Amino acid sequence: MSAATPNTSLPPKRRAGLLARLMRDRVALVAALVLGLMVIAALLAPWVAPYDPYFTDLPIAMQPPSAEHWFGTDNTGRDMLSRVLYGTRNTLMMGLAGVLIGGALGALLGILAAFYKRIDPWIMRTVDIMLAFPAILIGLAVAAILGSGLSAVVFALVVSTVPDVARVARGAAVGVMGQEFIEAGRAVGVSNRTLIWRYLALNCISTIAVFLTLRFGQVILVGSSLGFLGMGAQPPVAELGMMAAQGRDFLFMAPHIATVPSLAIFAIVLAANLLGDAVRDALDPRLQQ
Amino acid sequence: MGPMIARRLLVSLPVLVGILFLCFCLMQVAPADPALIIAGADASPEIVAAIRLDLGLDRPLLIQFAEYIGRVARGDLGRSIISNKSVIEELEATIGPTTELMVGAMLLAVPLGLLLGTIAAVRRGTLLDRAIVALSVAGVSMPVFFVGLLLIQYVGYLWDLLPFTGRTGPVWDGGLPSLILPCLTLGSVLIGPIARLTRTAVLEVLGADFVRTARAKGLRESAVVIHHALRNALIPVVTLVGLQAAFLLGGAVVTETMFSWPGVGRLAVGAIVSSDFPTAQGAIMILALAFLLINLSVDILYVVLDPRVQRT
Repeated sequence: MSAATPNTSLPPKRRAGLLARLMRDRVALVAALVLGLMVIAALLAPWVAPYDPYFTDLPIAMQPPSAEHWFGTDNTGRDMLSRVLYGTRNTLMMGLAGVLIGGALGALLGILAAFYKRIDPWIMRTVDIMLAFPAILIGLAVAAILGSGLSAVVFALVVSTVPDVARVARGAAVGVMGQEFIEAGRAVGVSNRTLIWRYLALNCISTIAVFLTLRFGQVILVGSSLGFLGMGAQPPVAELGMMAAQGRDFLFMAPHIATVPSLAIFAIVLAANLLGDAVRDALDPRLQQ
Repeated sequence: MGPMIARRLLVSLPVLVGILFLCFCLMQVAPADPALIIAGADASPEIVAAIRLDLGLDRPLLIQFAEYIGRVARGDLGRSIISNKSVIEELEATIGPTTELMVGAMLLAVPLGLLLGTIAAVRRGTLLDRAIVALSVAGVSMPVFFVGLLLIQYVGYLWDLLPFTGRTGPVWDGGLPSLILPCLTLGSVLIGPIARLTRTAVLEVLGADFVRTARAKGLRESAVVIHHALRNALIPVVTLVGLQAAFLLGGAVVTETMFSWPGVGRLAVGAIVSSDFPTAQGAIMILALAFLLINLSVDILYVVLDPRVQRT
């Protein structure tokens, strides 16, 4: 779980040892391996999936895992492994889009707020108001207005990521603004644009990146919950949260239909959380146990 | 303490307007034209136009928004398109069960999280500590619905221990069994983060000078841990519960839907799925207000627990 503002500013010399320190952390290594494998499997889904994820075959519906169908078949006889591969692809893409777009917008807002003191209160008050809406509520509202779908969920994830990132980015940027090289840049007549991009943004980016890594798991959880509620991807498209919801209706006859996608989400989030924690600890060993 | 709370209330005002505006937008952007819905599918254009005028749909949005606020203040949230009951009536029936669920989940998660975290901190480095840490990391990474699915499948269905659909009544009137599984499901979201933070906070406090003093005075270890360490560790934990309120709310929506629990979250999801915009708007408004209220209480509790805060 993320602390509100992880302190990750560090002198460049320590960063060199970061990868080495991460490699020594066995938990982080396993987490990275699991996450990497899932990302690769999801990317290669069209090539590695043993069956067509949309091909229904009613005579073999609800079969438990077997040699032909490693994860069994769902209520319409579709191969669960293939569907989980495609579902992981959609779920990961949804989470990444949420974190990257929301992160970029939030970072921009936070950095601008730190640089231009005059708009600072306006931006931060707006951010405070945005914080008053939990992600799931935004998701419900957006789905009500735009209609359910993956884009509604991504929109909700972006909106809920922006305020937190804006706060973290502003915190980091205010620290950088107090340093002398900003003053020096101004003195030699560097334009505001260069100051913001070259001097400010580049110095905040590692803090923001770590925060986003820590955030990724949560975003996946919220996104798949919205999928579970039926606000996200619509059938027959495979998305892990939605697949779990579909399996709920057959829980007592064929529990694997709901359990397999749920386990996949659990694996992604667990690996992301462990990796995020490891990166934070490696960057700032003071936070370690 | 007074001025701090007053300021905090003042800051909540724009948030309140924001919530109302979002709900207003929900009614505006809704693809269905309210005049058409009221008039029915085969009404003549003149009738639709008349209803439009009657509803004030031709006036500027800002004026419509002001009127909307006025209606909300009078408790008029419109009528459900599906059940034709007033939205406020629908909400009144659901607020109780949702509050019950959330309070139950907190009563379960907070003491359990505090206990696990404290044990882990005191027994630092032992197998028990590692097990608790691993458990809480796993808990943070579990989707709420997965916990619910497992509980329904095993405790509810296979072992047949507890009911898992609907609410049989208020807690004081035989409703307790039907409350347990939903509360366990929702509480599971909170136990992990609370345990983890409590562990860190207690560890930090255990190294503080005043704890050494307390030990030097010859206080029993249990007294040191409970009165000195845990009391101070509570402060970050309270903040965390506030930060987790969003998860609690989101979890409640999922939990209610899974267990057919007749709460606000289930009402909202049902209304959205069936395009019942007045009800969806009302339910979302209540959930957002609940979130605002939780955060407000947490901030106030924070001041009570840590008097240093009000000076900053």
